[in-house]
Amino acid sequence: MVMADNKVELHIPSIMGFEKVAMECSASVAKKMGFTEDRIEDLKTAVAEACLNAIEHGNKMDTKTKVGITLTVEETKLQVAVKDQGKGIDQVLIPSIEKKVAGKDKPRGWGIFLIKSLVNEVSFEPSPEGGNVTKMIIYLEK
Amino acid sequence: MNKDIQVSISQKDDVSILQIKGDVTAVTGETIEAAYQKVSAAGAKKILLYFDKDGYINSGGIAILIGIASESRKNGQIIRVTGLSGHFQKIFNMVGLTKYTEIFQTEELALKDF
Repeated sequence: MVMADNKVELHIPSIMGFEKVAMECSASVAKKMGFTEDRIEDLKTAVAEACLNAIEHGNKMDTKTKVGITLTVEETKLQVAVKDQGKGIDQVLIPSIEKKVAGKDKPRGWGIFLIKSLVNEVSFEPSPEGGNVTKMIIYLEK
Repeated sequence: MNKDIQVSISQKDDVSILQIKGDVTAVTGETIEAAYQKVSAAGAKKILLYFDKDGYINSGGIAILIGIASESRKNGQIIRVTGLSGHFQKIFNMVGLTKYTEIFQTEELALKDF
């Protein structure tokens, strides 16, 4: 697949629920590229979690801020970058459901774990323009 | 009432069924939690969570379900699950919820030998 302009960009408000717009957009691009239904579902969940982190932790649900999503299409892979305007998020240890069910840890904290489990590559970086960027890559398997 | 979710409660013999239509998130999860508390208060020991195949479950919703799993252990309850898409069955496995709730492919199978 060759595209002159291989990027799709969108911005969503920092309001819970709007991650679904990014999910559907990512799914649509991935489908066009030929990803399987299973892989598209993986991507949707990963994008949702990245957007939720950006909305809640990056932008602190400040409705004056936006979350930027950039999809970059390449021959064998799709990159989705999710950018917030905040100060970045702390990396968390691998969550333990045993601890959470036992009440020794709060039940939340699964977002980064899910992202790492569902995509081929992920990075968390500060953005040159300020804010934090989560970059996720999934590979198109032949 | 959150319009993104509807939870209806029904009973089949001694099993309380929570039919969940819509998305399971930190916000909508409160409706599920309230339904769980209602059946628990009525003495339910066997609970079936019947999810919507087209609904989406995010990490906030997973946290609510973990909270329910935690309480169910204290209450001596058994929780079974059905209605999940293949993708969310995988997610439940990934986070380890299947250690505390068994997933069944159909309501009929979930109710069998409960």
